[in-house]
Amino acid sequence: MRSQLWGLYVREVLRTFRNPFVILITLVQPFMWLAFFGSSFTNLAAASGKFGAGTYFGYLLPGVLSTSMLSVGMFGSMSTIQDKRFGFMKRILITPTSKQTIFLSKAFGSATRGLVQIPVMIAAAVVFGVNFSLSPLEWAAWVLGLLLLATGFSSLFLAITAPSTDWQTPGVVSNFITMPLMFASASLFPSTLFPAWMQAISNVNPITFSAEFGRSFLLGTSVDWMNLGYLAVFAGLMLAIGYFVSARWLKVE
Amino acid sequence: MMAPGGPPAAIIVRDLSKRYGNSHGVLALDHVSLSIPTGTVFGLMGPNGAGKTTLIKVLTGISDITSGSASVAGFDVQKQSLKVRARIGWVAAEVILDDDFSAWENLWLQARLQDLQGWEERATQLLTYFGLIDRKDDKVSHYSTGMRKKLEIALALLHQPVVIFLDEPTIGLDVSTRRMLWDIVTGIHKEFGVTVLLTTHYIEEADALCDRIAIIDQGRIIAEGTPNELKSRVQADVVQLESADPIDPKRLAQIPGVQEVRAQGNDWMIRVGAADDFLPRLFAVVRPEAIRRISVEKPSLETVFLQLTGHRLGQEEPMHDIRKFYAQMRRARS
Repeated sequence: MRSQLWGLYVREVLRTFRNPFVILITLVQPFMWLAFFGSSFTNLAAASGKFGAGTYFGYLLPGVLSTSMLSVGMFGSMSTIQDKRFGFMKRILITPTSKQTIFLSKAFGSATRGLVQIPVMIAAAVVFGVNFSLSPLEWAAWVLGLLLLATGFSSLFLAITAPSTDWQTPGVVSNFITMPLMFASASLFPSTLFPAWMQAISNVNPITFSAEFGRSFLLGTSVDWMNLGYLAVFAGLMLAIGYFVSARWLKVE
Repeated sequence: MMAPGGPPAAIIVRDLSKRYGNSHGVLALDHVSLSIPTGTVFGLMGPNGAGKTTLIKVLTGISDITSGSASVAGFDVQKQSLKVRARIGWVAAEVILDDDFSAWENLWLQARLQDLQGWEERATQLLTYFGLIDRKDDKVSHYSTGMRKKLEIALALLHQPVVIFLDEPTIGLDVSTRRMLWDIVTGIHKEFGVTVLLTTHYIEEADALCDRIAIIDQGRIIAEGTPNELKSRVQADVVQLESADPIDPKRLAQIPGVQEVRAQGNDWMIRVGAADDFLPRLFAVVRPEAIRRISVEKPSLETVFLQLTGHRLGQEEPMHDIRKFYAQMRRARS
């Protein structure tokens, strides 16, 4: 299984990097959030005084990076549907490769794709005046948290779209998942400002864990390492679900 | 069904049925039994929707089985699927390659999927054989259709499979690429000693390439044998002629070797043992000036198929008179 997983993972990553369009789409969306949402909201945030020290961009960046891991899951699903439609799934399965291996390669492949956004977004944040004073360990922990989040969401998307061969499914699923999870999280605003029912969602939303985890490094507040633990549990659980779902329901064509 | 004393069969199918969906679904394969000897080029011939592709899906482990069993290279396709899949190669009707990757990268991925060590030598050998070695680092998107097909076959042969499945290998190809592919099929069979199972709905393709052929129609195998065996089932040439004046059918029926005479106005269909002997005798009975047009149809897989199924390959609409002619002939015989 290691040989097949490595081969398919490399294929997944190489395909991304040889397709500048995919990279562009992956980068544009979070950048737009940072540039437009961040700029329009920054004075309001400063006036309210509920967003911690520093600019709103510093508050927003870990949140936007976290929500952008959602769209990464959608691209992983789309690449899987493409493989089904073009017969590649058959080609892979007429070798000693299991459906679970295909699932894992897709999940890790899209998570890797998600990481591409991090350096670009950091650079953009610097332009908007965010100061970074993180130790190498803190950088690593932050990236690891995002990687776990991306792995979890990629697995979730792949599990939901496993039985589908329709191009439109990932978009539909994304619409159902992205909006509620993005707003019912601490990615854009502190959840203490939410009504109780939204706080309840936000408190179990992995995006909240990831956003607050990254924010604690960036804003210099106390670090809650349990957030990383929750993210690890989320990633592990979603991987397990995706693994079993794809063995049973992954459609070939 | 196995040739006595020959090597064991590469593919054995026993009483296999495949129904899609629930119990009211389409019965794509209807109690199929087949034995494909090792080292042969075996053709599955039938019209679109006959069950050819379904049979390949079952044998390659892509599709499950409703009832019956099948084994490939000595392993059960259901219970030992991974072992089967390590021993087979598959080339789809359409080209399935990573276009953004070079030929070498496509081979690398295939080697990973087959978990091969030291595959580079074999890959170089295959690329050389197919004349692609100089282009091995070019992106596949810059390849011609013929080159892509060659690369696909190289991928399917990389792990030295026992059996290679070619699903409609020449569909949609131009004539010269098709000829090239025929040479390749014959070549790889000789060069690499691989058993080939190909599906086709081109009669001349099956005739040119295959040692043995099974004719499949509506999910059932309706005939199986060498091309010559199948052709000998139609032990007659068919002479079709259009006469200028009415002819007395009795005069034609009296000609030695004539098996059957049918007429529709001035159009005649005469079934004879051998047209070569019949024609000179015909001209002794009928003045050549009285014949406007004459044609001879020799036994071909087309006529075999027509006789067995009542319809021509790749033609869903019934043929006019000739179809009725054969249907009646079949009824008369049974």
